[in-house]
Amino acid sequence: MSYFNVLYAFVALPILVALYNIVPKKIRPILLLLASYAFFFSYSKFLIVFVMLSSLSIYLAGRKMSSLESKKKEKLEGLEKEEKKAVKETYQKNKRNVLVFTIIFNAFFLFIFKYLGFFVKNTNHLVSFFGGNNFLPIIKLAAPIGISFYTLQAISYLVDIYREKIEAEKKLLKVMLYLSFFPTVVEGPITRYGDIKDTIYEGTRVTYQNFCFGYQRILFGFFKKMVIADRLNIFVKIIFTDYMSYSGPAIFLGAIFYTILLYMEFSGTMDVVIGSAEMFGITLPENFRQPFFSKNISEFWSRWHISLGQWFKDYIFYPVSLSKPVKKLTTGIKKTFGNRVSSLTMGGIALFAVWSLNGLWHGAGYQYLFFGYYHFTLILLGNIFEPWIVAFCTKAHINRKSIPYRIFQTVKTCILVFIGELFFRADGLRAGFSMMKRILTDFQFHHIGREIASLGLDIKDYIVLAIALLFVLGISILRERRIPIREKISKKPLVLRWTLYYVLIFAILIFGAYGKGYVPVAPIYADF
Amino acid sequence: MKNALKSILFMGIFFLLLIGTSYWLLPQEAVYHYGIIKTAHYDILGEEKDTIDVVVVGDSLIYSAVSPMEIWHEYGFTVFDSATQGQLIRDSFKHVQVAVESQHPKMILLEANVLYRDAKNKPWSYDYEEWFKMYNPYQGYHNNWKRRLLTMFQNEDDFTNINVFKGFKYITDSEPTTKTNYMKKSKKKKKIPEENQRYFQQIVKYCKDNNVKLVVISTPSMKVWNYAKHNGIEKFVSSYGIDYVDFNLDDTIDIDWNTETRDQGDHLNYKGAIKFSHALGAYLKKTDLVVDHRSDSAYQSWNEGYRIYQKSLK
Repeated sequence: MSYFNVLYAFVALPILVALYNIVPKKIRPILLLLASYAFFFSYSKFLIVFVMLSSLSIYLAGRKMSSLESKKKEKLEGLEKEEKKAVKETYQKNKRNVLVFTIIFNAFFLFIFKYLGFFVKNTNHLVSFFGGNNFLPIIKLAAPIGISFYTLQAISYLVDIYREKIEAEKKLLKVMLYLSFFPTVVEGPITRYGDIKDTIYEGTRVTYQNFCFGYQRILFGFFKKMVIADRLNIFVKIIFTDYMSYSGPAIFLGAIFYTILLYMEFSGTMDVVIGSAEMFGITLPENFRQPFFSKNISEFWSRWHISLGQWFKDYIFYPVSLSKPVKKLTTGIKKTFGNRVSSLTMGGIALFAVWSLNGLWHGAGYQYLFFGYYHFTLILLGNIFEPWIVAFCTKAHINRKSIPYRIFQTVKTCILVFIGELFFRADGLRAGFSMMKRILTDFQFHHIGREIASLGLDIKDYIVLAIALLFVLGISILRERRIPIREKISKKPLVLRWTLYYVLIFAILIFGAYGKGYVPVAPIYADF
Repeated sequence: MKNALKSILFMGIFFLLLIGTSYWLLPQEAVYHYGIIKTAHYDILGEEKDTIDVVVVGDSLIYSAVSPMEIWHEYGFTVFDSATQGQLIRDSFKHVQVAVESQHPKMILLEANVLYRDAKNKPWSYDYEEWFKMYNPYQGYHNNWKRRLLTMFQNEDDFTNINVFKGFKYITDSEPTTKTNYMKKSKKKKKIPEENQRYFQQIVKYCKDNNVKLVVISTPSMKVWNYAKHNGIEKFVSSYGIDYVDFNLDDTIDIDWNTETRDQGDHLNYKGAIKFSHALGAYLKKTDLVVDHRSDSAYQSWNEGYRIYQKSLK
């Protein structure tokens, strides 16, 4: 059941809200768990057992680490300094073993379901160089929905207990709900146990305001997905399937449209997800913060899929940059080349690890790895050249805070993002390069009008798209200025408020790209 | 209490607006005759009364294989696909009734596959989804805003644009199949579920009472069809004196299962549909029940529709 299914948003959700308010407070988290498992089952049927296994494994590991910690504290009482050190080391080692074993256990399922096919394909390819043929059998496995998301949540839970940032949960039910919570399980945001434990198990009654605010957010998500993303899908699908028939400008427009489509689909899903949770008084972290207003790629990734970026920062970037080998290497570099080269090396190594994993997290394929390294290179180059750019601007009397310069930075960043997303969407790396080649060499601008008209959208569709994009842009500007839109609207007179809501609802119903002749975008991030 | 009343009022206004805008979007002549709900549910009601000669009823095999506009262009026959995904024969019966009531066609072609679809195998949500579709006037017609904006002040319906595909689903995706020789001769017979047999009897009687020729057809499908099903249908429908045409056995169609199926032999894609529509048109011609309307002035909206249909093909 997709979040954009009417059955989810306008039948199951209101029924759940009603039940949630009827049952006693203590039962409410159990009801959420049952709803989450029913939701998971509707997607993945009996593969639900894997999310249960993950929950059980991290629950037991958390309890074990907690008991080791208590035992350590007991043993430390009355010991001498040297003995204390030895005891601490022993228990730390045991805790680390539990942590590593449980991470491997969870990552193993992720590997089997997501990367085994890629691994087999490459192994067979390698063996074929030595004359072997189909060395390993190709196995196609259907993965449990959201495995990439809940596995990261599972790892963060374990590491946070290991780092003593949170306490291990005593109730299995709570851990099960944390990993499978129905609004987040398919496409995130990747939550941290410490951030949501207070609200998710609280069982606060659904208030009228939360209910209305939740639905407003859900409707905005529907608008982005159905009016914009699903409409753009027609254009994008044709361009990326048959790019050889189109000129460079049309392909570049396809890349722009795909990036917008991806943003509208994913951020629209987040609106539905966050709105759903908001109804139950559960505040989920935002996953997008107007990414197209970014001035460089690094900033872009701090505004796009924020929860994933934060996860990589906390669980990959810092551990790698602070690891013993990296520290040892950068200390040596510091002595010879100075502080700047040393910190660039340390950051570069950690960034490389982050973007390798980020690429692979998005999919088992070379174009995803390329996508990761593309951004790694841009961020690293940005870090290297930053002081020179600052010096150049000072010399050339360019005000880096002026509006034209900021617009230039934003446009430059957007273009770099469009190129990255082109490779991301292309049917393999070869197709990506081929499309790029056409963009750079085939400037047939005189065909563009005819081509745009032949890509499945008519003039009325383009008008709807333009108006819808302006509407989303307006909302984005207000959010960037931290204006609380829903609160502001809620203070307006009833007639004006309701008119706004009806306009939004009927804009979706009438101008939504659904039904005959339209193929809705499949939930893109759910496959990652 | 105040909030509950506000919610009820909000929903009440919403439904009023829904009905108002539905009336604006749907073919108004049909709404006048059949009401909003029925008009929205049955696409054939968007066609001008008594203009369709052949109605093809069935599931996704039909709307993937029969392109009425191709048949119009080549033979001048007016054909309409009254087909829905995973259609059950009980729904086919309703489609037949609506088609006869609104169009009085010369022929009804019923896809044999619906005779084997067992209602018991449908998920629990099927009835709910059908109910929802029925009461959602926007499902099929919301895109009519494009046409309505142009004809804002026009009282009469212009049938040219309402449904230029005439029920056909234009899909160009291609995914080959590795299967070969799926129609291997055999003496096996697949039994038709009893409930479906009863619905078929009702369809036969209804068509006879209304003087409409009923023919059962099988469209090419490597995945769905086989000789045991062929035998089962042939024996069953002949006992009612109904013709059965299995296009899976027609070698002249020559479907290329590498390029002319969209999903590994299950459904045809647009290329396959062109071939099949040509074969179906040739069959209809042989029956001598339908006539060429291409130069008939009353059918000019079909010629204009064909022009738009061609433009819509990417």
